[in-house]
Amino acid sequence: MDQIESLLNRPKAYYNIDGVGELAMGFMCLAYSLLAWLQANAPKDSVWHGMPASIIYFGLMCLILHYGPKAIKKHITYPRTGFVEYRKRDTVWRPMILGAVVAAALSVGLGIALRRHWNVMTPASLIGLLWAASYAYGIARMGMVRWKWAVVCVVALGSLVIAANPADLVGALADHSWHGAFMLVMTLYGAVLLISGGISFWLYLRHTEAPSPEAP
Amino acid sequence: MNSQIQTIAELDRVIHEPGRLMVVALLFAVDRSDFIYLQHETGMNKGTLSSHLSRLEEAGYVEVEKTYRGKVPQTLLRLTAAGRKAFEQYRRKLREAL
Repeated sequence: MDQIESLLNRPKAYYNIDGVGELAMGFMCLAYSLLAWLQANAPKDSVWHGMPASIIYFGLMCLILHYGPKAIKKHITYPRTGFVEYRKRDTVWRPMILGAVVAAALSVGLGIALRRHWNVMTPASLIGLLWAASYAYGIARMGMVRWKWAVVCVVALGSLVIAANPADLVGALADHSWHGAFMLVMTLYGAVLLISGGISFWLYLRHTEAPSPEAP
Repeated sequence: MNSQIQTIAELDRVIHEPGRLMVVALLFAVDRSDFIYLQHETGMNKGTLSSHLSRLEEAGYVEVEKTYRGKVPQTLLRLTAAGRKAFEQYRRKLREAL
């Protein structure tokens, strides 16, 4: 029975067989971090403080996030290990609901922290620990490769190290605003995900080859 | 004990074969996939997988669609409503038997 359940989870794990899921997430985190850095360090009259630049930036980011993984899947993954079309309820509703709940919780938490002048390092690091826990749950549930546990350890440890840093030191990265903590956390997640996704992608290319045209 | 044996005897023979069970379970979790994906995930060779798919198609559990990805032929496979129902029933009965 357990074997059947594990087979039912295989298609979910297959989405990240080439590391593209992590590469996309890593890219998104680094893009957020770059935007935070630009907004914190650009001159006050710079375009980076205006709404149009942010909208164009997010638009470009969304386009890359939407079409980038699709292009990799179409030209590399599908010819090598096959094409999968996921069921709509798995691909749309669950991530949307989860994303909405997480975004709402983060916005409320960050809003309260900023209004009460709390040290934003603590919520930022808590988010990191929560993220590491959800990643660990995903690895355990989908039976992903063992070395992915190193990603969980690095994110959890990195979040604790960031929390241990003096707020002034981190704030100095971004004109003593909360952008500093945000940048640091996003850079950490982005770098870890890009490295993890990059290793998965490299291993995938190494261990698979494009098959000859099928003839079933 | 007797009821357990009875339940095992009632299991769908088409799905109960290990190779076909793998195929049906993999297809149950997705909307559709191609032949290469099933070959990669099950580790079966083309001939064996083809014969299992033919058996499942005969039983009305799998829908086969021949198409092209660019200039390369592609075989898309989908579990039919009857296939989904049969697999759900199979899982229920297996749980009862165990």
